Amino acid sequence: MASLESQSIPATGCSFLQGAPASAFAPEDFSSDERLMVQMAEQFSQKEILPNLDRMDAQEEGLVPTIVQHAGALGFCGPDTSADFGGLGLGKNLAARILEYLSLNASFSVTIGITSGISQVGLQLFGSRELQEKYLPPLCSGEHIGAYCLSEPNSGTDSLSLSTRADQHGGKWVLNGTKMWISNAKWANQFLVMAKVGGEKISAFLVERDFPGVSISREEHKMGLKGSSTARVMLENAEVPLENMVYEEGRGHIVAFNALNLGRFKLSSMSIGPARQAMTHASEYALDRKQFGQSIGRFGLIEQKFAKMAALFYAAESAIYRTGALIDSAFESGHAQYPDDRIKGNIRGAEEYSVECSICKVFSTEAEGQIVDECLQVYGGYGFTEEFPIARIYRDCRVSRIYEGTNEINRFFIADRLLRRMRAGTVIFGPGDGFIHDLCGEACALVSNLENPHQAVLGALADLAILTYVEQSARLRVSRNPAAFGQLHAVFCNWANAEAARAYQLISGNPVSLPAPAAVDLGAIAGLVYEKRGPVN
Amino acid sequence: MKIMVTVKRVIDPYAKVRPLSDGSGVDTTGVKFDANPFDEIAVEEAVRQKEKNPVIEIVAVSLGGTECEEQLRKALAMGADKAVLIESSENYDTLAVAEEFVALVKAESPDLVLMGKQSTDGDNNQVGQMMAALLGWPQATFASKLELADGTARVTRETDTGEETLEMNLPAIVTTDLRLNEPRYIALPGIIKARSKPLEKRPPSSTATSRVKTVKVEAVPARSAGKKVGSVDELVAELSARGLF
Ligand SMILES: Cc1cc2nc3c(=O)[nH]c(=O)nc-3n(C[C@H](O)[C@H](O)[C@H](O)COP(=O)(O)OP(=O)(O)OC[C@H]3O[C@@H](n4cnc5c(N)ncnc54)[C@H](O)[C@@H]3O)c2cc1C
Repeated sequence: MASLESQSIPATGCSFLQGAPASAFAPEDFSSDERLMVQMAEQFSQKEILPNLDRMDAQEEGLVPTIVQHAGALGFCGPDTSADFGGLGLGKNLAARILEYLSLNASFSVTIGITSGISQVGLQLFGSRELQEKYLPPLCSGEHIGAYCLSEPNSGTDSLSLSTRADQHGGKWVLNGTKMWISNAKWANQFLVMAKVGGEKISAFLVERDFPGVSISREEHKMGLKGSSTARVMLENAEVPLENMVYEEGRGHIVAFNALNLGRFKLSSMSIGPARQAMTHASEYALDRKQFGQSIGRFGLIEQKFAKMAALFYAAESAIYRTGALIDSAFESGHAQYPDDRIKGNIRGAEEYSVECSICKVFSTEAEGQIVDECLQVYGGYGFTEEFPIARIYRDCRVSRIYEGTNEINRFFIADRLLRRMRAGTVIFGPGDGFIHDLCGEACALVSNLENPHQAVLGALADLAILTYVEQSARLRVSRNPAAFGQLHAVFCNWANAEAARAYQLISGNPVSLPAPAAVDLGAIAGLVYEKRGPVN
Repeated sequence: MKIMVTVKRVIDPYAKVRPLSDGSGVDTTGVKFDANPFDEIAVEEAVRQKEKNPVIEIVAVSLGGTECEEQLRKALAMGADKAVLIESSENYDTLAVAEEFVALVKAESPDLVLMGKQSTDGDNNQVGQMMAALLGWPQATFASKLELADGTARVTRETDTGEETLEMNLPAIVTTDLRLNEPRYIALPGIIKARSKPLEKRPPSSTATSRVKTVKVEAVPARSAGKKVGSVDELVAELSARGLF
């Protein structure tokens, strides 16, 4: 089970800046029956999802809801919802690992990720017992599909500017507005909708599809994720019972943002699922395809690609499951701190590691992008056709960097939070944890003295924080398999040191000299990828 | 009615294995383990029989170190009612394994022992037959269909010449082949429930005696490049030059 980090360094958000804890959770630490659950998720993907991709992308009527029901019957639709409401009551970290393996295809990943995740979490954390009893069990069983409605045509990143209204008339809430880009809209039975009471106070509402005044537009014509549903939800004098307000009037942003914190964490594992699948396909292809009388996988430049992919994957995975264990511990200590106030405890759990959640989101989605792009390159011209599986993965993965908060706004958020915590003295930087970590500390000091830093500077600061946390996580995991993981960590550092130097130079305007690169055996690492037909873990 | 199923912990059948440098065995560092796939088919079959006849009790058994608990918990998650681990870190040859399970059969008195026809690591295909001989029980190997009626088992088995159907009195030993069934997905609630099902550990009934010794484990030699021939005559000439025709 999840172990708490470190003894000397307090387990609080951003404490990675103080230095490395004595240890951190790594995927190898899941217990054997937890691994069995993950293995079942992988089997489900292999047998029920991957053989059906063309049918899913063609939006075959009824197919996806049937698969969701099947998944629900096996327990995949509510792993971290309380057993009182039909879930399994597992921790968020294990739920994310299960979700990673249900995410080998990105379309299905969104469908199940939303219905088991962000559509439930608002109710889980903030809903009244009555709402939880009514709306969570059918989501957990897979009979219902859920959706989360924050974005609007004119309110995307600037989500608080939303204009959907809620007014009380005749003993009901009456909602008016349009929600844009709603995943699962075509199939969803219930929607968590953010609207402003009286046009001012943001509040969350549980809206059923069949309520009067609710309608769904045609599907968006998307570049990828064609097997998922994305459409508009139109609310025209939609009638919602008074008791369907989730949490309190004017506190919908707390519901929405805490759901998003956890959503970002989960999206991280959802984005390495397709990266894993891309590496499986590309490594098979690299062994199969012969040019100049040998497998292309044995050319040095192809080995180099696989070594870097393996290192990025390893690093992302290290950061994600370290963070998940921290989130689980934050919920535990939140509930211990507020034994009589469930919601306060939940807020602590969902908020404490919000910076780490954003770090995981940005790093994992960008690692996914790089991995999938290089996998396509391994296929050469064949990768550019729909005859091979990589083109679909390439189209599908692009949106990971856009939703659950674009990577730009997440970078802004990371830098902003970090500086606030530093100014408030709740995080104190401790030097001596390595090259990247030290650069990050110096950059924080430089930027906190700036009057009105350019966003590019804040972005560079966020990059340093991201690289610091991820490198530290990758390092803390090495002991689980020193021979292989040591090499992966070294490859990661050779790349990350240069990235960190670039970011620091942008902030300071001064050159930085890089540490000498570690010796790495690219052929041996690529060999491990070929042997495993995927990431090394 | 009681069904005993054996569950062996084996190296993941899809993993690539390497011999140890001294040839004494297989290098297991960093290798994943799983339940023997033929045994999983046996567990699945027992669970299907129980679904038809809920009075059936299923006992999953294994022989080996504490780590075998993992595979027994998997059998419990699939639907076995309890598990027994004969705990030992010694090396057993197939006859010694059969003897240990026979001792357990005497203690547990099952009406039917269901087991994989072989395990994917040793590929011996012996333990079931040996147990039947030691117990003096009827046996049906390579089962592709199993029907239980009061006191009897009807087993269809796959042979080189076709299907053969046998009928025998219980108690009996039945070993499973691939086509008997396809093991189900294990539902996550089943895995959680398995945590609290009973798993008993007991010492072996006697000290392990291995009458067969492993002399050497070697990797399969790498295949050398082939040669393209232009005609049948050329092929025959090439083969006879190698003494193959
Ligand atoms: C397939 C898909 C599924 C989706 N599913 C859902 C869903 O289920 N529920 C839901 O509520 N939403 C959903 N979304 C919406 C998604 O969250 C938004 O698209 C996203 O938040 C960006 O908003 P926008 O598209 O309006 O872009 P904009 O906000 O217009 O952004 C455009 C560009 O400007 C940048 N930008 C904006 N503000 C700033 C700033 N302050 N600083 C720096 N850069 C900035 C952005 O990073 C981006 O690059 C989905 C979107 C897609 C494509």
